Amino acid sequence: MLELKRALDAKGHCLLEMPSGTGKTTTLLSLIVAYMKAHPLDLTKLVYCSRTVPEIEKVMEELRKLMNYYEKEMGMEQNILGLALSSRKNLCIHPSVSKEREGKVVDGRCYSLTASFVRARHAADDATPICEFYEGFDAHGKEFPLPPGVYNLDDLKEYGQMKRWCPYFLARHTITHANIVVYSYHYLLDPKIAEVVSKEISKTSVVVFDEAHNIDNVCIDSMSVKITKRLLDKCSNSITILETTISNMKENDSKRLEKEYKRLVEGLRDATIARETDMALVNPVLPSEILEEAVPGTIRTAEHFVAFLKRVVEYIKTRLRVQHVVQESPAGFLRDIHTKVCIDRKPLRFTAERLASLIRTLEISDLTDFSPLVTVSHFATLVSTYTKGFTIIIEPFEDRAPTVSNPILYFSCLDSSIAIKPVFNRFQTVVITSGTLSPLDMYPKILDFHPVIMTSFTMTLARPCILPMIVSKGNDQVAMSSRYETREDTAVIRNYGNLLVEVAAAVPDGIVCFFTSYLYLETIVSSWYDQGIIDQLQRHKLLFIETQDAAETSLALINYIKACDNGRGAVLLSVARGKVSEGIDFDHHLGRAVLMFGIPYVYTQSRILRARLEYLRDQFQIRENDFLTFDAMRHAAQCLGRCMRGKTDYGIMVLADKRFSRADKRSKLPKWIQEHLKDTNCNLSTEECVQICKRWLRQMAQPFSREDQLGISLLTLEQLQSEEMQKKIQQRAQGVSF
Amino acid sequence: MDDYQTCPKCKTTKYRNPAMVLMVNACGHALCESCVELLFAKGSGACPECKCPLRRNNFRVQLFEDPAVDKEVDIRKRILKEFNKRQEDFPTLREYNDYLEEVETIIFNLVFDIDPTNTNKMIDNYKKENKDITQKNRNRQSQEEMELEELLEAEKAQQSEKANLYVNAELEEKKQKHKAREKLIDELMFSDADAKSIVASHVQATAALAKEQPKVAAQPSSVVVKSSKFSSGVQIGLRGQHTNAFLPIPKQEDLPLYRYTAPVFDYDGPPPPPIEKLGKLNYFANIRAANITERAGGYTEAMSCCRALQEALGGLFYSPQLTHKTAVLATNSSTQDTDDMETT
Repeated sequence: MLELKRALDAKGHCLLEMPSGTGKTTTLLSLIVAYMKAHPLDLTKLVYCSRTVPEIEKVMEELRKLMNYYEKEMGMEQNILGLALSSRKNLCIHPSVSKEREGKVVDGRCYSLTASFVRARHAADDATPICEFYEGFDAHGKEFPLPPGVYNLDDLKEYGQMKRWCPYFLARHTITHANIVVYSYHYLLDPKIAEVVSKEISKTSVVVFDEAHNIDNVCIDSMSVKITKRLLDKCSNSITILETTISNMKENDSKRLEKEYKRLVEGLRDATIARETDMALVNPVLPSEILEEAVPGTIRTAEHFVAFLKRVVEYIKTRLRVQHVVQESPAGFLRDIHTKVCIDRKPLRFTAERLASLIRTLEISDLTDFSPLVTVSHFATLVSTYTKGFTIIIEPFEDRAPTVSNPILYFSCLDSSIAIKPVFNRFQTVVITSGTLSPLDMYPKILDFHPVIMTSFTMTLARPCILPMIVSKGNDQVAMSSRYETREDTAVIRNYGNLLVEVAAAVPDGIVCFFTSYLYLETIVSSWYDQGIIDQLQRHKLLFIETQDAAETSLALINYIKACDNGRGAVLLSVARGKVSEGIDFDHHLGRAVLMFGIPYVYTQSRILRARLEYLRDQFQIRENDFLTFDAMRHAAQCLGRCMRGKTDYGIMVLADKRFSRADKRSKLPKWIQEHLKDTNCNLSTEECVQICKRWLRQMAQPFSREDQLGISLLTLEQLQSEEMQKKIQQRAQGVSF
Repeated sequence: MDDYQTCPKCKTTKYRNPAMVLMVNACGHALCESCVELLFAKGSGACPECKCPLRRNNFRVQLFEDPAVDKEVDIRKRILKEFNKRQEDFPTLREYNDYLEEVETIIFNLVFDIDPTNTNKMIDNYKKENKDITQKNRNRQSQEEMELEELLEAEKAQQSEKANLYVNAELEEKKQKHKAREKLIDELMFSDADAKSIVASHVQATAALAKEQPKVAAQPSSVVVKSSKFSSGVQIGLRGQHTNAFLPIPKQEDLPLYRYTAPVFDYDGPPPPPIEKLGKLNYFANIRAANITERAGGYTEAMSCCRALQEALGGLFYSPQLTHKTAVLATNSSTQDTDDMETT
């Protein structure tokens, strides 16, 4: 809190690593809310970004608790409005639209019911369907702001039902005056969405990125485009649709096209201020780079623009017809497209905007079919805007199946700082936090910013409730490692199996294992089956496996939890970087031990990764190995953190690879794990590991009451105010910040 | 790939004859290579679809999936050779855009055979009117092209530089390793020292070398990244320069914390009255008051008065014989005296 306060005072950015399950969210919320109350002019808004919908809900729950506490202590209604925002899919209450499963379909159908031209048509002709909820909101909702309080997604829906207002647009509208907004990363980082949703958030806001250990990847994904052959074929179809619509419109209603044309000639961006419902297509380029200029003459008329699009698509098709992998820079691409099909850079830059304008003019209400074309237009705009930090890779086939032709064009962003830069520039304080951010100095480098505070916190614990160990060899003294050279070695696989069997015999309830990849998981499980290890394992616990299929995995998870709850005990085999490793918590008996088999390096042969590593090396002087190790260790730490969700929880963390004990890997673990990783536990064999486990579990199984924690990890108000404690806190605060 | 491509004349598909190559001519209709040879054996003939007269020499391999695009690109290239005015040739952007649209319309008309007589007339007119500019522009690269060229060149230069750097670094490393090993063997052969200690010192030396090595490799390249501009004038390529100035946050784990201690002045005299009290003690009676212009700059008479008093009183107790401590004692005792004096 002290560090956060300093950062807020300094109006600078900060990077905080806080162990999971220690009340990270509550801490952030309570301090920032208190700060907002104390300095209402310096800090007007809190934007809290989380990753998934359940996480957003969790934050809202914490906020509600905090507000209730305020009310109880201060005895009056608090004048603070907090709300969660999600996509239309999660907020729609229209009886038929909300039944749709896919987000894109919901967006498209919503657009077809609420776009301004549809509503204009409805005014003339009652048969045109519109959304009554949006109409209700439009008629009354704007004058009456949401009363103060805390609204999660369900509350918004309920409120919407009651008033017959559309909750989605209500939430979007309310963002401008809400004190606390909770939503997903993409609403700020993805320029396509940020432009629409987060444009009006003032500078005096504080932005919190929670669970931000993957933030660089989110940034990169938001600026990258992937084009396949199928997508291009769909594009051709959409272009034909555009052509016919244009010719129809020319015959029936040529005025509208003329109007658009005139507007473009005048160089007015959007003469009619775009209504919120009409913003279905947007520019993928960051706000600072958008041109304030008229659309070039080559693509001014609708027919010319469609012909232009056709040329672009055909050109990309020819590029996809390669026989070998091609990698080139945006500059090379631009030159080639100029010589082959005579397309200049400037009209290319306007593609996304021109397409949006055309679709608006044509009053096409069903947008779902056009998404491939939109993707291509984004690509065209991005490639002509950014010449640095991007690369184009064309692969004629996948590496795993070189005979099957499946050409893909990757337009890949290499520099994660491009997407996040506007966020850092725009807001006075950006807080990046997670349970696993170590090594901390990597993030400022790859995101290219200067934090004023950069801290890793540890836990104050009444008992040593985590037990990290590095197991480097089996009972037969063969080194355990997932190194590429030894991963097929039966001795290594057998040793991994024995380790799991022996740990499963000693540890009660649930055990979670992480492998480096799905492929590795499958090969290991199949050879365990041959070696009879699976049978041995099933004598102790039930076995569940995570697969790439999300439905299958969630079924496995449900049954895993069931098996743990009724005391049978279970083992879950999953994959680092998979769904289980990100965002699913195994608290208390669900995860008494985590085993990490091997170091989860990324697939290093991927060309996109290679290109990114090269870029990092050239631009930021980060060596390839440093980045790979950093990436592997943050994922390993993320997996280990799954079993530790609070102070009363306890769990074993086994790192089963010889390479973990090297200084460069060990030092990259979060501080709160390193603190408990003693030197004596760094080079164990299976047998020693089990011995230590047993002793430790006996100690942990003793009754643990509130009184034990009092004075150490739990403080009463008197204790907190006592001089001795104050001194201690002061000391720690100073020690920690450097 | 493209298995469904069919020759409209003989109905051969790419699937049945993988060697088939489709050709297009000025009319934009495709024919396979063998049909072209058959139909145009004399060197000229009519297109089997649109009956327009064609020459065999003008057949080219079809590049795009849609032959119409091939035709369009063909026409476009021809037209753009003539219509090659640049933005610099127009007084305003608006006029340039109008010109671009006109060109686009001409191409569009030619491709879809709309109003061919008028269009051709327009082209001829333009050719006549703008002969000079066309000729001039042919030899001149547009600003945009130049920018792209520049970028590509910089990229190339950077790449070769990098490659050299890494190759050199690697060679160097190898050389050094080799040297170190030779040295070790030499020492083991000729030196009288204990073999163990020699090996140990060698290990240390290599470790030290290994530490130095990465720094060499990680040095930023000397290639200066040119900052270029978008057509709007938005700067790009600044990032490269910026990153050179990037300051990693220093790790301060070992440094002791900075503590503020108030500086001690050796004043050696009775302390002057504080600046706030000068007015009350009636010191201003004897000096000129500050006028309006002086006050505007932040000057007040109190400042000079205070300064004068400090100068007058400082060093009064100084005597070379006394040690520092006694001097301080003396000042302490004398302060009380002066205080008393002033109050009385």
